[in-house]
Amino acid sequence: MEVHKPSLRGAVWLAHLLILGGASAGATLALRVLIGGAGTLSLTLPRLFPFAEMSLSMDGLSAFFLLVVTLVTAAAALYGPSYLGAHAKAPLVQTFALGGFVACMAGVCCAGDGLTFLLAWEGMTLASYVLVIIDTRNEENTRAGLLYLVMAHAGTAALLVVFLTLSARGQGFDFAALRTAARTLQEPTRTVLFMLALVGFGAKAGVVPLHVWLPKAHPAAPSHASALMSGVMLKVALYGIFRLGFDILAPADGPLPASWGWTVLIVGTVSAVMGVLLALQQHDLKRLLAFHSVENVGIILIGAGLAMLLSRGRGAEPLAVLALAASLLHTLNHAAFKGLLFLGAGSVLSRTGVRNMEELGGLARRMPWTTWLFLLGAVAISALPPLNGFVSEWMTFQALLLGGAKLGGASGLLAGVAASMLALTGGLAAACFAKAFGVTFLGRPRSVHAEHATESPAPMIAGMLLLAGACVALGLLPGYAMRLLDGPTQELLGGLGPSAVVTARGPLVLSGNGAASGLEATSISVTAVAALLALLAAVAWVLRGWPRRAPRRLAPTWTCGMLPSSRFDYTATAFAKPLRLIFAAVYRPRRAIARETGPSPYVVRRLGYTGEVVDLAETMLYTRLKRWITATAQGIRAYSTGRIHGYIAFVLVTLVLALLFFARV
Amino acid sequence: MDNTAAIGKIVAQAGLLVLLGPLVTGFIQKLKARLQCRQGASLWQPYRDLAKLLRKGTVQSDSASPFFRAIPVLVLAATVTTTVMLPVLWAPAGAARLPMGDAILLLALLALARFLCAIGALDAGGAFGGMGASREMTVGLLVEPAMMMAVFSVAVAGGTTDLVHLAARRGMLPALAWQAPDLLALFAMLVLALAETGRIPVDNPDTHLELTMLHEGMLLEHSGPGLACIVLATHTKQIVILTLVAALFFPLGLAEGSEPLEIALAGGALFAKLFALATFLGLVESSYAKLRFFRVPQFLGLGLVCAFLALALRIL
Repeated sequence: MEVHKPSLRGAVWLAHLLILGGASAGATLALRVLIGGAGTLSLTLPRLFPFAEMSLSMDGLSAFFLLVVTLVTAAAALYGPSYLGAHAKAPLVQTFALGGFVACMAGVCCAGDGLTFLLAWEGMTLASYVLVIIDTRNEENTRAGLLYLVMAHAGTAALLVVFLTLSARGQGFDFAALRTAARTLQEPTRTVLFMLALVGFGAKAGVVPLHVWLPKAHPAAPSHASALMSGVMLKVALYGIFRLGFDILAPADGPLPASWGWTVLIVGTVSAVMGVLLALQQHDLKRLLAFHSVENVGIILIGAGLAMLLSRGRGAEPLAVLALAASLLHTLNHAAFKGLLFLGAGSVLSRTGVRNMEELGGLARRMPWTTWLFLLGAVAISALPPLNGFVSEWMTFQALLLGGAKLGGASGLLAGVAASMLALTGGLAAACFAKAFGVTFLGRPRSVHAEHATESPAPMIAGMLLLAGACVALGLLPGYAMRLLDGPTQELLGGLGPSAVVTARGPLVLSGNGAASGLEATSISVTAVAALLALLAAVAWVLRGWPRRAPRRLAPTWTCGMLPSSRFDYTATAFAKPLRLIFAAVYRPRRAIARETGPSPYVVRRLGYTGEVVDLAETMLYTRLKRWITATAQGIRAYSTGRIHGYIAFVLVTLVLALLFFARV
Repeated sequence: MDNTAAIGKIVAQAGLLVLLGPLVTGFIQKLKARLQCRQGASLWQPYRDLAKLLRKGTVQSDSASPFFRAIPVLVLAATVTTTVMLPVLWAPAGAARLPMGDAILLLALLALARFLCAIGALDAGGAFGGMGASREMTVGLLVEPAMMMAVFSVAVAGGTTDLVHLAARRGMLPALAWQAPDLLALFAMLVLALAETGRIPVDNPDTHLELTMLHEGMLLEHSGPGLACIVLATHTKQIVILTLVAALFFPLGLAEGSEPLEIALAGGALFAKLFALATFLGLVESSYAKLRFFRVPQFLGLGLVCAFLALALRIL
């Protein structure tokens, strides 16, 4: 493989620094809108098409999502050049695709009209497609890219229907016109449009059952691009759901239709549980992380669905604000910790060349920075205190619990079910990351690659540190994050912002506000608990050595008297086995044991084990769909004779039918 | 002044729980011994064990990472932190309390302790540690949602997940206002408490046989003062779970002020509740066999269903 010239590497660095500069500028603008009180910024773009004006506009919701985009982009830009290193394939193409990808994501968030939105949306898909298939040596990547492209375009088709229906009514593409057009629609039509939007955005966000492309495509991209795809691109799709569901398609006043909240809540719950269940059985570190994105999108949608159920139109409903704030905060949190975890996985991948965690192990001593930063991300994503994942899940729990009590009836019960599933998701995520972290980084190295691993270069560590800092800050000082959420929630729900509802008792105290039901709020202070935890740990550390300075010596791990080797380490497959059996109905596990015996059947020479679990959505839905499409294509082939006059006849018949149909209208 | 007094009370009751933790274990061991017609070890044996471990040296696995040394300390700290969230002797009704944590944070901190313990077990790189970690995480993730739901069913009625407020509100009601959901939730909590405290029929705290151990399997590579920290954390977790059940369902006799009589009454009530619940654990442990590991989900499913019914009845 050729080694790149220094000038090429300089160009790659320069491009990444430009991306970093752009991200900082974007973040500054977003913060000005969110906490600087700059109001809505807008910019008219040059007129590209004769039929529509194009513009950018940034209100609170756009600014918040732009902030999410820029946070991970900055980390990825720091991380990228060293990750691409000296041997990457087509580094300039990758860099430009990355730049275009990020710019298009920012464009989607800041679009002021439907046309800009769709163009940026499409650009985002194409740029990320380039990143997925860049490693053409791997056939699987190419297939994953194709699946991604097909799913993304099926989603875009649904979105086109929504935007074209609205723009045809509103005589324009800008969001104000679309909003007015939506208000003239009947409720059933609006609901159909919302469901179409949910399908379109859901295909990109990876909600179950539209998630099948995600665990294939996300790991295929270079790791910093995976971080962006999983940490941010899914959020951009969620931005679409928030924008259409709460803003453009929402009725002028009065509550949102109950069917919307129900659908989003159910879809979110199913995605959360299925995502984490499938993640548990993965051995490929990046694939495992990709499945966790499905889970976290589900958690975000649980909050959003609950906010839809609780919202009463323009008026302060503190619980709806709490639910929406939890959902938005989890969006930011997930971007931070999932970005961190993907960058950590990339660091392992770039130093060992291995993604399968069964072949890793023992990296804690060889790559200490990567290890401890990954552990921080693992604690955060498992919703364990005192990091940021816990804060947003706590808020979601409070909203589900108090909201469930307030809603009562079937909706309340649904909230209760969602709460229990969320608790299950948290436990499964903790088990999954105990496995992923323990098997990848601890124990003994199980391959030469892992044995010879060394720490990644400083710029990569810097990228991870940036996101780790965000995880810690959002966990310990959640009250300050609430101020960022004031703008978006007030635009979507009206009334009080979360900084009045959630941090009513000071910026370091979170309160789940039950004031609506005439009760005092539940308050917790993660900051105080973290301080207490640190204090107790320090006291215990000192006390442990206090009674007697007893000697400490090293000895091999106890392995029943045999010589310890890496074969004694518990594998990821074994770790997840109890769950594979308990949830066998979901996994449908299959295993095959190949036994090679010597001359006597009692002497086993070799044992081979292969096991796999299935993704129910894939086998139940997509395999059948594929079979149906193939059968239909075979049927059509009979008429596809290759003779040109036959085709002309088909075109003519179609034309006549179309004219007959549309001339009547 | 108000804050200082509040902090003083929190520290006092947290310290009391940590100090009493080993005694509860000692009591259960004694009860089990007497039921087996043995004399059994003294009530104070767990304290002696801790003192002995603290004086010993440490043998650490040579394949463990530097983090391994910090794990016992962090596990202990996370477990002890939960004690400040419980009403033990005091439950000031309605008064502005220092916001520390609620039931969700309490369960999450216990989950953090379990997670760290599992990480430590995988660190040494032996099969026993991994097996213990895998099993403990599996049981933990089945227990956690059910316990959360049982807590929620009480919290929905009280409108808050803050355990002190919940206890204070319920303590004021004359006949506790027991309803069907409470009975279901209590039953669920008792089932789950058996699992969470690592007792038969889910786990056997007395065994070191590789086929049966869950929690103990994770501790094999710890020794000396480090092991003492984890053992103390286990005692503390047990008394925290028992106090949690007491706070949710029997919040009687909690003091509001700080008069000696009130505190004596609260102390007596605390001892009575712990005595009753520890007797329950001891009796169950003496009269049942340990379940096969893959039967445990069915046993816990019982708790899950009851907890869910309790929550559903509350919401509907």
